[in-house]
Amino acid sequence: MENDSRNPNSSITIDETNPLTSPSRRRSGHRVEWPTIDGPLGLSPEDSLPYARRFFKLGFLCLPFLWAINCFYFWPVLRRPQSDPLLRRYLFGSAIGFLLFTAILLSWAFTFAIGGDHLFGHVWEELVMYNVADRYGLTGWM
Amino acid sequence: MENGSILETIGQEIIGVMSPVSICMFLVVLLVYTVYNPSTAATSTSSIRTAANLVYLESSSDSTSQKLEGAILNAIVFVVIITLVTFLLLLLYYYRFNNFLLYYTRFSVFSIFSTMGSSILISIIQRFNIPVDAVTFFILVLNFTVIGTISVFSNGIPIIVKQSNMVVLGIIVAAWFTALPEWTTWVVLVALALYDLAAVLAPGGPLKLLVELASTRDEELPALVYESRPNVVRNSGARGSSLGLLVAPGIGIGAGVDNDNSGGAVELQELLRNSDNREHLVIDVRGNERENGGEIEEVSEDAGETLPLVENSSDANRVSLRNDIEEMESEEMTERGIKLGMGDFIFYSVLVGRAAMYDLMTVYACYLAIISGLGCTLILLAVCRHALPALPISIALGVMFYFLTRLLMEPFVVGASTNLMMF
Repeated sequence: MENDSRNPNSSITIDETNPLTSPSRRRSGHRVEWPTIDGPLGLSPEDSLPYARRFFKLGFLCLPFLWAINCFYFWPVLRRPQSDPLLRRYLFGSAIGFLLFTAILLSWAFTFAIGGDHLFGHVWEELVMYNVADRYGLTGWM
Repeated sequence: MENGSILETIGQEIIGVMSPVSICMFLVVLLVYTVYNPSTAATSTSSIRTAANLVYLESSSDSTSQKLEGAILNAIVFVVIITLVTFLLLLLYYYRFNNFLLYYTRFSVFSIFSTMGSSILISIIQRFNIPVDAVTFFILVLNFTVIGTISVFSNGIPIIVKQSNMVVLGIIVAAWFTALPEWTTWVVLVALALYDLAAVLAPGGPLKLLVELASTRDEELPALVYESRPNVVRNSGARGSSLGLLVAPGIGIGAGVDNDNSGGAVELQELLRNSDNREHLVIDVRGNERENGGEIEEVSEDAGETLPLVENSSDANRVSLRNDIEEMESEEMTERGIKLGMGDFIFYSVLVGRAAMYDLMTVYACYLAIISGLGCTLILLAVCRHALPALPISIALGVMFYFLTRLLMEPFVVGASTNLMMF
């Protein structure tokens, strides 16, 4: 099968013996391993590394949701131990970063919300969002 | 196959389009219903000044004829602005200022998310007195803004995130449009439906030109559109199902909210995928449709997607795939689903949101009217097979049902139930 060597996507298995079968039969017959949850609609394996790297790096700019999207999008890679180790390293970094950031942010937000002004004093009044919005006139809608 | 029942082939696509529209409308209604407060609305709505009420600011003390006259003037100005902006963008697209359009759209999506979206969030926070601190709030807004901006253009985003992003965008803009005064909203909606009809169907209409231009260039439509992409590979029986574009004034919705930092128009524009990945995209107008000219947007998938589908061919590498697809038309392939302009999302939701300010009964009536109108449009799409305006039928039905419900049905139902004749 010479086209396998030419095809950069070596994880796709190509079946010669089974021409024009129904989708269900094809799907059950052999696994097509796409790196993303969108499967064939998503990124190809050779494209996914730059995207994962970019999202991982951008996540450090206080953007943990990008890490979350990274993990969500490349979920099959994250689950499959035999996939690209470099890609997996970025994805694990994203996962750890997202979990850490979420834990810190959530604990801070809940401390703030539950502790209230007897924990923070007058700082609470200054930090709480509806006062901030009033002070700077951030409301425009309704 | 191709001549099989329309409903059989189109059913999945109808659901794929209707569910996001329904979600969008439901969330706008929820938002408006919870946050809207009629007592404070009189003071705050008059302060918002957009492209849709440049000429006339409605106040509740005006007489009916004054309101109607002012609303019609507003609508005319709004439609003229939209037409001009659409032609301008068409011109830009014609001379291939693709990068300008790209960055312009990025900027408008960014400003929609950051200013309009955060202001809606603040309204929710104030309404429910949620004790969120400023730091958390700004981090969240920053994250949502960046994800929203990225996911409109980038490839490395899950489809579900892209789709929900479009829905959120529609919700934000629609929620802002509900802040328009009442008469102006209705007249603007009707005017937009008429404009949509003209712009998509009339020869020389800007949207028609845009669709034709995009299809002759084999590019994606340079606008914010919602793509319902099928996730499953359908068999050849469903292959010839209807595909097409529903174009609304999503091109150039001149929301134009005069915030300090958005600074003018908030036209939703330009979705361009400039990625290498999509270079393999094959525009495949099939034989029987080829005679119909360039109006059909029959976009097959890119090579990466069709790869597992043509696995029986001996040379399944990417270059020869294009030929394979074009030659073997009996081959099964997935298609790209229906595209719905952002304008449709927004103005459907505006109608329902405006109805929610009156009563929930009008909301039900308008929702059913809009969805049935959308269904009619989709069936027409399956028959006509070229780009159709999605606003006119739905808006006409929606407006009609709103006023019928408000003027005739509500007095009857309320009267009957308060007199214990009906429960």
